[in-house]
Amino acid sequence: MPLSVLVSLVVVGIAGIALLLHLAGRSKRCVLTREDAEAAWQRHFPGDIVEQVTVARDGHAALVLTHLGPGLVWAFGADTVARRLEDFDLIDTGDGLRVEFHDFTASSVSLVLDDFERPHWRNLMRAP
Amino acid sequence: MTDMLTYPDVVQLAVPGFVALILAEFLWIAWSGRGGRYETRDAVTSLLMGAGNVAAGIALGFVAWGFFMLLWRLTPLNLGPAWWVVVLCFVLDDLRYYWVHRFGHRIRWVWASHVNHHSSQHYNLTTALRQTWTGTFTLMMVVRAPLILLGFHPAMVLFCGGLNLIYQFWIHTEAIGKLPRWIEAVMNTPSHHRAHHGRNPPYLDCNFSGVFIVWDRMFGTFVPELDKDRVDYGLVHNLATFNPLRVAFHEWVGLFRDIARPGLTLRQRLGYALGPPGYSHDGSRDTSARIKAQHLARHPEDAGTPGFEGVRPPAE
Repeated sequence: MPLSVLVSLVVVGIAGIALLLHLAGRSKRCVLTREDAEAAWQRHFPGDIVEQVTVARDGHAALVLTHLGPGLVWAFGADTVARRLEDFDLIDTGDGLRVEFHDFTASSVSLVLDDFERPHWRNLMRAP
Repeated sequence: MTDMLTYPDVVQLAVPGFVALILAEFLWIAWSGRGGRYETRDAVTSLLMGAGNVAAGIALGFVAWGFFMLLWRLTPLNLGPAWWVVVLCFVLDDLRYYWVHRFGHRIRWVWASHVNHHSSQHYNLTTALRQTWTGTFTLMMVVRAPLILLGFHPAMVLFCGGLNLIYQFWIHTEAIGKLPRWIEAVMNTPSHHRAHHGRNPPYLDCNFSGVFIVWDRMFGTFVPELDKDRVDYGLVHNLATFNPLRVAFHEWVGLFRDIARPGLTLRQRLGYALGPPGYSHDGSRDTSARIKAQHLARHPEDAGTPGFEGVRPPAE
């Protein structure tokens, strides 16, 4: 197969599939309840004892306090990912917080938090 | 031996078929409401990884090809192009695939390349195309050396490898349940390969076969898909990025950071490169064996069940 045909096929194929999936509603981020967030955390860290779960008002992230310290679980497309809050920077973005992990597999996550939530989360994230 | 033999590049020829089958699978899922899940960014990442894999093959394919042709000049054996030689080559190359794949899960240097194939939390036909960009750097081409030295022409070996890859495309689906028993007994199937992609403890390090599942049965690594343990797809520590560059290189970055840590012995540095994924010099990380043992400590009733044969919970 000539390279030009292969490249065209790949570009059109990827763009077409992306458009189809988006138009079919497959770009929605998952929304977490308290129970979902706890289950998601246990899925990523099955040995942990979860002590407290605080879900953001937009439902796309939750702060989890465990016996080993605080952690963050957040919507990753239709799924979730989670990280312990051990080595990170916090940046106030005006409409929330950006957590910059020092982790090549999870560079940063932007949390949408209102004026009430922001200081509360800040305190919890720095919990020992 | 320098005689030439040519075969079509079957993987490139299969690309239109890949696109058509992905569309068909998605339309089936959308229409029936079952048979798997699709997510836009996850699928696009998988497709970009597939495109990058083809590009890497074009850019770096000469390395493996040069190595194989060197071996071909050295060997006095030539089995020729007969159809039965192709069939034999296909079967033996599938055995080669089993071991390369097993090394890919048990040796971090090789896992650094293979990990991206397991990095999606979804399991659909786009996941099949989430392939490595860095396979050349694992040097796993050496596992094909015996085939060339036995007299299988390099072009035939690569042709069979392409057929193997194409076979494995269709098994990356939840749209197909279990197949008739004789097929499940001999062939790698969607059910067997779903188990291979599981991140939950019973499924870690199982079902490495490409086409014939008999290799796993022979070498003791077979675990059936279990009704009681729905497969949870992805990595033990899932990636939090859709960026193809991070997907392709994250484990290499982690590996080189680990072996460059100050204060380690040579043995510890080698452990980070050549030990199993999850190795750590201070025991701060978990290998698959330790994850299984920890699971048994929480669920002793699973001892001796598929995926836990020979596994013991950690000592108190």
